[in-house]
Amino acid sequence: MITARPSRLRKGMVPLPGVAAPDSEGSGGGPVGLPGRRRARGGQGGASLAGAAALALAGLAALALPLVADAYVLHSCIVVLFFAYMATAWNFVCGYVGQLSIGHAMFAGVGGYATVLLFTGLGLSPWLGMPVGGLLAAGLSVVVGYPTFRLRGPYFALTTIAFAEMIRIWVENTDTFLGIPLNGAAGLTVPLRGESLAALQFNGKAPYYYLIVALLAGALLATWRLERSKLGFYLKAIRGDRDAAESLGISPARYQLVALAISAFMTGVGGGFYAQFFRYVNAERLIGVDLSIDIALMSIIGGQGTVFGPLLGAVLLAPLAEITRGALGGSFLGLHIVVYGIILMLAVLYLPKGLIAPLRTLLLRRAGRGGAR
Amino acid sequence: MAPMDPLILSFALVNGLLIGGIYGGVALGLSLIFGVMRVVNFAHGSLLMLALYATFWLQALAGIEPYASIVVTVPLLFALGFLIQSVIIAPLIRRESALVVEPLSALLLTAGVYLVIDNLALMAFGPDVRSATTGFALEPLMLGPIPVNMQRLIAFSAAILSAILLSAWLRGTRMGRAIRATAQNRDAAALSGIDVPLVYAVTFGIGAALLGLFGSLLATFIPITPQVGLSFGIRSFIVVVLGGIGSIPGSIVGGLVIGVFEALASQFVPATSAAILSLGLFVLILLVRPSGLMGRA
Amino acid sequence: MSAPLLDVRGISKRFGGVHAVRDLSFRLERGEILALLGPNGAGKTTAFNMIAGFFRPDGGEILFQGRNVARLRPWDVCKAGIARTFQLSKPFADLTVVENLMVGGFARSSDAGAIRDRAEEIADFLGLGRQADTEVQHLTAFDRRKLELGRALSTEPVLLLMDEVVAGATPAEGQEMVALVRRIRDRGITILIVEHVMKVIMALSERVIVMESGRLIANGAPRDVVNQPEVLKAYFGEQYAAGRA
Repeated sequence: MITARPSRLRKGMVPLPGVAAPDSEGSGGGPVGLPGRRRARGGQGGASLAGAAALALAGLAALALPLVADAYVLHSCIVVLFFAYMATAWNFVCGYVGQLSIGHAMFAGVGGYATVLLFTGLGLSPWLGMPVGGLLAAGLSVVVGYPTFRLRGPYFALTTIAFAEMIRIWVENTDTFLGIPLNGAAGLTVPLRGESLAALQFNGKAPYYYLIVALLAGALLATWRLERSKLGFYLKAIRGDRDAAESLGISPARYQLVALAISAFMTGVGGGFYAQFFRYVNAERLIGVDLSIDIALMSIIGGQGTVFGPLLGAVLLAPLAEITRGALGGSFLGLHIVVYGIILMLAVLYLPKGLIAPLRTLLLRRAGRGGAR
Repeated sequence: MAPMDPLILSFALVNGLLIGGIYGGVALGLSLIFGVMRVVNFAHGSLLMLALYATFWLQALAGIEPYASIVVTVPLLFALGFLIQSVIIAPLIRRESALVVEPLSALLLTAGVYLVIDNLALMAFGPDVRSATTGFALEPLMLGPIPVNMQRLIAFSAAILSAILLSAWLRGTRMGRAIRATAQNRDAAALSGIDVPLVYAVTFGIGAALLGLFGSLLATFIPITPQVGLSFGIRSFIVVVLGGIGSIPGSIVGGLVIGVFEALASQFVPATSAAILSLGLFVLILLVRPSGLMGRA
Repeated sequence: MSAPLLDVRGISKRFGGVHAVRDLSFRLERGEILALLGPNGAGKTTAFNMIAGFFRPDGGEILFQGRNVARLRPWDVCKAGIARTFQLSKPFADLTVVENLMVGGFARSSDAGAIRDRAEEIADFLGLGRQADTEVQHLTAFDRRKLELGRALSTEPVLLLMDEVVAGATPAEGQEMVALVRRIRDRGITILIVEHVMKVIMALSERVIVMESGRLIANGAPRDVVNQPEVLKAYFGEQYAAGRA
């Protein structure tokens, strides 16, 4: 990474002929170049270098964590990172295209169930089962997304709930489908194989921790690249104004579907991870509205449409659930969700760009004071 | 498929109509609020759940007959709706000049309300299933050979009556006309001297007050749990989308269609498949005819 | 004489009972600035939207560089080399000026660095160089109009369709816009412009066509056309208002 904006770093570039200068393009047949002058600017190299250093440091600290943390803390961290990963995957499409999906759990469900069923039925290693589950989720996302992306705002949101609920209700009430044991509401357990790398089963928590850190890093990297890619620009254009986007050569349906498929793939892989980590999947938890809402909430509160917003949201919100469950026991079931709800309302009213927006301004200002600008 | 016993089928049909009318009544407030304010109230079902609990606790603690508790639940829910609008949603509408996807923000806000209300209810009341019982001896009415459940018939009649009265009120009163004017063009309404924030708060209040009514009427025959709201909320979305968003008669028609659809479908397929089918119908309507059955295209 | 760049052949469009455009035909030569005039409701915008791919004509052909583009969707029309602006500018409000100008570049290339360089050139060309990293929601209305134009240019069009470029602009801004449009034409881009303000038409175009009630009623040099009786009849109020503007 690091060279975020190459064009800005080329300081000594030779300026092109000025605006008024004549040029030789007279044919008018092909695409026409406009005159202009390349801007020679310092750019934010200092800031992004500092950011990269901070990231590297955070990464190192994250990798060292299993050496010092006990099993309980490590377990909680895995859960938090799992949510960060899922929120980042959600953000990949919803945050950038400005649509609210409250049905992403269906992709997690497909990934989770597929990983388990491929293992129990065909003996396929979860290392392969997870990407296969991801591909199945991506396939489902195209089927669901193709008609649905024509809808906007609340209509899109409600339709995603409807699709996810149809799948949840169906799975919950189906014991076998075409000979495949779905086991209804009871869910599926992953048969134990003891410590086995091939079966992705470990006695300690550390391997799961490293796996989710790797997945999260991959999702963040994908989002970081998205921001700078054609797809990212296209999604932001569709979010900004659909007609204008179409006039600039963008087929909204096509690019939204591509992004949704990638997002669903990542979410499906996340469902597979969930299955391996908890060694259990059921429809209510993995396909239910609650998971969909949690994922969307963390992304929105942290800051959708940014690389690190969903991670921030998950790191701030997910521990609440762990803390209320751990410290307060079962007596305050639901307390963390009440807090989520209040934070959500405050964020929508006062920080519509998420918690990351003020944080970023603060960091940029600090970097600016010491940096080039 | 085996031919169905016509008696069972007509029983299902009558029951479907009753339940459907009730769905329509429950959805009235959602439709009204969306029609006037363009806000999809995600907390719609949660408000119904609160009305159900209010009815239950009024009976459990003060011995108040569920049907009589209407005099408490209706004003209570009106106040709650009025408050939700003026405290939580109004700041968003004031900020509307900002370039944000507003209908989505409103949905997220009310989703926050839903999360808070449902989980506070879970903490306060626990997950136990409760029910209220009416003191009146309500014998089923015999419609030929078909028995008609009186509690449902009462709620059904209330739904039809509410829809008629609400329409009349919107047409015939000063406030009603102000609400309709605001629904058509908020800025023009504001320019002609209508107090738009008040209109919004009253609209939300009425939408919630209707749930107060149905909370008391339904408490005697549906199980009361903290989670009961969401399923009613989702069903109300289906009804409203089917009938045409913002249409009062559409809400009742949509409810009847869904009620009959589910009742008849569950004669042929398991009830859960019927639920899947009505969700499928919802998606289909949104995709094919987003204006609904009674809406203007 | 070679074939015209754009050859509109008998396109029509109905909305319900309203015949918005009937059997409209006209030609546009390379390097020309052609103005499309007409009173409100004459069908100008409908015709415009059909060429841009936003409406599908009920009948007729739109030949662009010899190829019929009448059935293409907007994004394919763009890729064919036709760019458009909108009457009400539709910027991507939360992106910066340069980012707005980059979106269209991806239709021609996938080299983000080169696209950014070009976007910066266009920003300079528009006189928006200093605002390059400003979010568009903070721009003035006129700067947004210029950005709208630049965004269309970013797709490297052969033909540029412009919908009311000086609407709401001050006279000074109008002059700046006219100069900008001329310079775009001088780069070899052919321009079709829908405009109300007569002064702009006089300054820019060698030829105008006039629509009324969905039909073409005049075609010729601006000075001749505005004196034709049909045009005066159809257009008098607007012309009068425009003359005072």
